[in-house]
Amino acid sequence: MKVTLNWLKQYADFSWTTEELSERLTMMGIEVEGIQKLSGEFEGVVVAQILASDKHSNADKLSVCKVADGRGERQIVCGAKNYKVGDKVPLALPGCTLPTPAGAAPFTIKVSKMRGVESQGMLCSAKELGLAEDAEGLLILPPDAKVGQIFAEHLGRSAGDVVFDLEITPNRPDLNSVIGIAREICALTGQPLKLPVIQFLNTSSEPITGVVNVRIEDPELCPRYNARVVRGVKVGPSPDWLKLTLEKVGVRSINNIVDITNFVLFEIGQPLHAFDYNLLTAASGTVPTILVRHAVEGERFTTLDGIDRPLTPDELLISDEEKAVALAGIMGGRNSEIHNSTVDVLIESACFKPQNIRATSKKLELRTDASYRFERGCDVGICDWASRRAAQLMSEIAGGVILAHHVDAYPHPAAQREVVLRPGRTDSLLGIAIPRSEQIAFLQKLGLEILHESAHATESDLPVRVRIPTFRVDLKSEIDLVEEIARLFGINRIPATAPRGSIGTHSFDLVYDQLMEVRRNLASAGLFEAQGQTLISDGYLAQPPATGPQTVWLENPLSSDMNVLRPSLIPGLLDALRHNLHQKNQRVSLFEIGRVFLENQGQITEERRLAIALTGNRHNSHWAGSDREAIFDVYDLKGILEELFESLGLRGISFARRTDPAGLLLESASINLGKQPIGEIGQVLPALARKLDLRDFVFVAEVNIDFLLASGSNAKAFKALPSLPSIRRDIAMLVPEQISHEAVLTAVKQVKPQNLEAIELFDVFRGKNVPEGQKSVAYAFTYRGADRTLTDVEVNAAHEKVIAQLKQTLQAVVR
Amino acid sequence: MSCLLFSFLASHAFSILALHLTMSFLDQIEPLKAAALAEIRGAADLEGLDKVRVTHLGANGRFTGLLKQLGALPKEEKPAAGKLVNLAKAEIESALAGRKAELENKAALPSEPTDFTLPGRRRGLGRLHPLTQVTDDIVRSFRKIGFAVADGPEIEDEYHCFDALNTPADHPARDSQDTFYVKANARPLLRTHTSSVQIRVMEKQPPPIRIVVPGRVYRRDNADATHNPTFQQIEGLYVDKNVTVGDLKGTVEFVFKELLGDEVKLRFRPHYFSYTEPSYEIDFSSPLVKKMGKEWLEIAGCGMVHPQVFKTVGYDPEVWSGWAFGFGIERIAMIRYGINDIRLFYENDLRFLRQF
Repeated sequence: MKVTLNWLKQYADFSWTTEELSERLTMMGIEVEGIQKLSGEFEGVVVAQILASDKHSNADKLSVCKVADGRGERQIVCGAKNYKVGDKVPLALPGCTLPTPAGAAPFTIKVSKMRGVESQGMLCSAKELGLAEDAEGLLILPPDAKVGQIFAEHLGRSAGDVVFDLEITPNRPDLNSVIGIAREICALTGQPLKLPVIQFLNTSSEPITGVVNVRIEDPELCPRYNARVVRGVKVGPSPDWLKLTLEKVGVRSINNIVDITNFVLFEIGQPLHAFDYNLLTAASGTVPTILVRHAVEGERFTTLDGIDRPLTPDELLISDEEKAVALAGIMGGRNSEIHNSTVDVLIESACFKPQNIRATSKKLELRTDASYRFERGCDVGICDWASRRAAQLMSEIAGGVILAHHVDAYPHPAAQREVVLRPGRTDSLLGIAIPRSEQIAFLQKLGLEILHESAHATESDLPVRVRIPTFRVDLKSEIDLVEEIARLFGINRIPATAPRGSIGTHSFDLVYDQLMEVRRNLASAGLFEAQGQTLISDGYLAQPPATGPQTVWLENPLSSDMNVLRPSLIPGLLDALRHNLHQKNQRVSLFEIGRVFLENQGQITEERRLAIALTGNRHNSHWAGSDREAIFDVYDLKGILEELFESLGLRGISFARRTDPAGLLLESASINLGKQPIGEIGQVLPALARKLDLRDFVFVAEVNIDFLLASGSNAKAFKALPSLPSIRRDIAMLVPEQISHEAVLTAVKQVKPQNLEAIELFDVFRGKNVPEGQKSVAYAFTYRGADRTLTDVEVNAAHEKVIAQLKQTLQAVVR
Repeated sequence: MSCLLFSFLASHAFSILALHLTMSFLDQIEPLKAAALAEIRGAADLEGLDKVRVTHLGANGRFTGLLKQLGALPKEEKPAAGKLVNLAKAEIESALAGRKAELENKAALPSEPTDFTLPGRRRGLGRLHPLTQVTDDIVRSFRKIGFAVADGPEIEDEYHCFDALNTPADHPARDSQDTFYVKANARPLLRTHTSSVQIRVMEKQPPPIRIVVPGRVYRRDNADATHNPTFQQIEGLYVDKNVTVGDLKGTVEFVFKELLGDEVKLRFRPHYFSYTEPSYEIDFSSPLVKKMGKEWLEIAGCGMVHPQVFKTVGYDPEVWSGWAFGFGIERIAMIRYGINDIRLFYENDLRFLRQF
């Protein structure tokens, strides 16, 4: 919403600078989003009168003048000869920039010495002001010119102004008008609001019943409809002041009648519509009737913008007895608009239900200054005032005669709300004591009416009954009044108090810490944390399984790039890998902790997951080292997970190869906690990797972190450090390729070797001297007695059993 | 040594034989010692040095042989001769030990010369995402004053996201223009703010409440330098008896000073939010903001919990009062680190992530 400084000053007296006003408005909750200073013409030039003129002591061609500028006297050095003392001339004050030919450096007047004598400005010629091509000597102004007047005003040209672009919060529709803003200013200054006095000069006493009728079909959607007629107007261009005023707030001038309706809309906030009265059709033998009605199914209407719009009974129309003439509260129709030969004007000043206007405006994608105001709620009490104001201006500007009588269909006049304020409540909410009388004074300054106020009431808990004027649609309950008092009192005057009080509790508090711990551990393992988009493209996803959890789709996506909620973190990580490789980051190891969304039989669930993706070199690049060319493999990824699981105190995790690798993975394993699958690990399908321009192998894992956190344990207990020596026995053996590490461990466990403390795989080898289809594996077995030092004989006995078991169950050939 | 020898000769009378024996014994010490020291100096490695040791001081070594001859000397001359021999031996041993240390150090040096200016081999720590870091900093300052971290679902219903927050059905915030809806029967939506968690928590817990809620929220804005359809907020909610606007100011000032430094200046500006009243926007000013050519930069919204919200969750607004304040995490991170494009947060470019 734009207002101008000069316009505001018509209703409110204040002497603040632009910056002060901006600050005051901002601190009243009207944020100033932009300030545009419009330089008028001849900025800094005033009408001055020459009081005296003396010769310059150092220059023959110059004289030293004493001039009055309206505020005081100035000394000006001048070269012209064509003036006499007492003449009125234009004076450019220091700081003023005079027009220069295009391309020339701007010429700014400064206080300077001319041949040793100070000159505090410059008396100007018509040429210097750009008013004439060529002119000798000073521009001598008529004797009736007002000393000190802004030169532009003297010429009748536009003077400077300031346009404020204000952010009006949706709860304050009353501020969508210049008078509304002026009212807030007056509440600050304590000065009265100066509303324009409306007087009709040219009226006719023609009875309105012979001119127009109004019928409201649905008073809920249209609580008030005021119709007034001005006859005999002459449609034409608006006067300059009106054009200029509207242009400054961003409204294009159309003609005097339409401009007046727009002027009043900005002035008081009431949208008006002007119909060409003679284009309204009456049923035969009657006068035209304005009918406020629902559209008929299938009805079409052409709005002022020339668009033919299909309507439904949800939309409200203004019509005569034959045709619709306006889309209520939004836009008028082509068929009744004001045109150059319009003579009689019908002014509509109505009030419509915000919800209905909003719905229609949204549905038809048609937003206007009128719909904007109606959908936020207009002041039902101001309709007649606004209509009279428009009629007055039409009469003054377009020469019309106003019909003294008018129609004001207002079936159920709104009762003014009354709200009770307990001043003590204000104090307890704000944390500062504001005297009852001061609170009342604030409310009064805002135009609220205090009822049944006893002069003796001083105790702060004695309630105050307040009547709310119709323009304040936002004031409904006590807390609204508390806010008003806080606003006028000033938040800056409420002292800040140190945090105090209770200690918070919430079950997520612990989870938050656990998640941060997981993040830090993963970062220590060299991974970078990523945060991906929640909304992704379904194109990233594998064909969803026929059964089981399904992807959640958006009803109103912005684009197909973001049309589903991520069912997995992996697509986002793959996208991040792609981005990084495009940026030539060759080694990428990322993790993300975030929510995924799945639908299962109509139920949408959110679960928090952890995903990791690795590609490229295992190590940071370095200038030496035997394995510096090594690239990530699946065991790097598994190792990270194993460290993580251990740090979470998880036991019973297993990795089971998936025989039906599904989704995005070439080779994969299910990660299980006990029998519960909690995630998966694997290698991304080469075709997908290629599609994403990932050149090296890509390994990913994803686990349900909520489940892991809930299943882990941070219970820790000290175990005495071993004091007895251990004995180590190694086994190197050939086993068939399909024998897994886990199979070896299981086989060993089955014989329950006595005193076996640990078993560690230390080599896997295929190739030279190992037959095809076999692999060589080597394990270290550590034996340690619980309470005594073991002998070789004892250890050998246990170890022999192990060897026998491996030979028997795994067809192992011990080397 | 020779001076010692002469005084020794002058003060004693010897038989010719004894004198001869003693003289030839003493004459051997010096050449043997000199030879040993030369060989020690010449030893090229530890192995060579050990050979030198064996040659001279080993069981059959030359110096050991000399020591053995000591027994054949006249009794009265033994102490003096012994002293001389032992002095020489000690000198050799000391030279051996010195050379050994030298050779050991030489052997321990890498085969190639070390350049301490070469880059080290880095194991590479990862980093937490800048938004995580900022979130955690905020959480930490809230926790100092007794707040617990809470969370809630991101897929919400109209009730928790809007109705219960006193946002009437025709409020602009409920436009499908701003809100993402999920294709499902109940037409759930993606929460547009973390304030829905206020309702979730107050429904479940009786007052007092003191929570801080970080989380992702969604608005139907096309991505550009300052918008991403997904972004993150954090908000605090405090409900207790006798909570005032002054308390709100005090806490907000505490948290932002923790976050942005002591020199930060805050300004509360009246505003409108449907679920708080009075409501304020918070602007801050700092040398950084001034550098951006501005006086104030908007950073957060806050207010006293609206009595209607309390009624909705079953709290008595006459007994309980409270405040809430919330802000965008990306915005704080952008201000703190001077990041100019919100999309950088979600691209996960390592060159970006590494900087924090």
